[in-house]
Amino acid sequence: MAKTREIKRRIKGVESTKKITKTMEMVAAAKIKKAQARIEAARPYALKMMDVLFSVAQFVPESGHPLLVVREPVERAVIIPMTSNRGLCGAANTNVLRKAEALYRKEEAAGLTVSFITVGNKGTGQLRYAGYPIERSYTELSDQPTFAEAREIAKELIDGYTDGRVDKIYLVFNHFRSLIDQKPVEHLLLPIQQEVIGEERPGVRADYIFEPSAEVVLNRLLPTYIETLVYRAMMESAASEHSARRMAMKAATDNATDMIDNLTRSYNRARQAQITQEIAEVVAGADAL
Amino acid sequence: MSERKLLCEIVSPEEVVYSGEVSMVVAPAADGEIGFLPLHTPLVTTLDIGILRVKSSQNRWEYIAVHGGYLEVREDRVTVLADSAELASRIDVAQASEAKERAETRIEESRGKREDFYEAEKALRWALARLRAARGVETTADRRPPTAAM
Repeated sequence: MAKTREIKRRIKGVESTKKITKTMEMVAAAKIKKAQARIEAARPYALKMMDVLFSVAQFVPESGHPLLVVREPVERAVIIPMTSNRGLCGAANTNVLRKAEALYRKEEAAGLTVSFITVGNKGTGQLRYAGYPIERSYTELSDQPTFAEAREIAKELIDGYTDGRVDKIYLVFNHFRSLIDQKPVEHLLLPIQQEVIGEERPGVRADYIFEPSAEVVLNRLLPTYIETLVYRAMMESAASEHSARRMAMKAATDNATDMIDNLTRSYNRARQAQITQEIAEVVAGADAL
Repeated sequence: MSERKLLCEIVSPEEVVYSGEVSMVVAPAADGEIGFLPLHTPLVTTLDIGILRVKSSQNRWEYIAVHGGYLEVREDRVTVLADSAELASRIDVAQASEAKERAETRIEESRGKREDFYEAEKALRWALARLRAARGVETTADRRPPTAAM
């Protein structure tokens, strides 16, 4: 008696958990779609911006813009791990943090002073707990990043860089390759690498006009480039978070289904055992008479 | 009229705002308005806050409020990379007038504080640009006088 009731209670418990994980799975699936659409929508701007940057850079070969200059010696590095604000998304955050910590140790071993600027609650909490120096943390951002948010972060990074407080800035985030494949990547944000500006391409040097001048345009484009990169990283990281959550919740739902199956089987067995025993008792009782 | 057209694309970081074949583009460049016709020489310019207009196929002007950014012309393609851009038909007039009032009070409050004033002024110009774009007004009367190079 007691045993069947106990099993029944557990089945109910697992069923309600399953309902929650199933819902979370569906919510995450819907959010992935949105996040993917946003990444798609942002692509034209990013591509065209690179294009313009490329053609402008042809005309300012030795710009000497602070964002382009590789400093000697490099003394301080900042690593920006992008994590989610909420958990239950599998190993997404752990992967990013592991990568960020490895990078931290690598740069530290190279003799640099390294610190973190964290984006997202999870990374902030974990790195602070582990005792890493955290310069700043952005935890109030939503899981649907906007360009304004990216711009705010980018502005602070650029200011820190141009003031000479930092010589090197890395982004570490989950690269959203597909619905089932997200991989943490590190990306050197500043200084801007020479490949971005490109090799000199003869023939492209058409009769371009620049208003007000090529230098001014380039100097304004470079920060925009950084903003776009930060925005992209934020969006990829958000899309990865939702995908990872969907996968994790799908696994949880599947596990719950299996568990309910097993429990139902145990329940039936217990019920049968109970009936068998009752019959045996009745028969034994009848015999005794 | 010649058959030549410009392919005009206006993109903001978050979306493609406008894309289409047009016969003329007039943009609020940093140093004043610039108009573009087909066969324009390659050019890159920074943009101010203001109204960009394009003459679409039926000789109708379409207005787009743009908030800074860049414009590139090359081989009959006009690409506008705006920090923010809104098609006139999509502008929420009530919201824009509210933004205008907010910006005006902020300007009042920010007397003496340069940074705040600058921000508030930008917000006001953006609100005005959106309002005018929504009404389809071509003038750029409220443009500030050309400032010295930054």
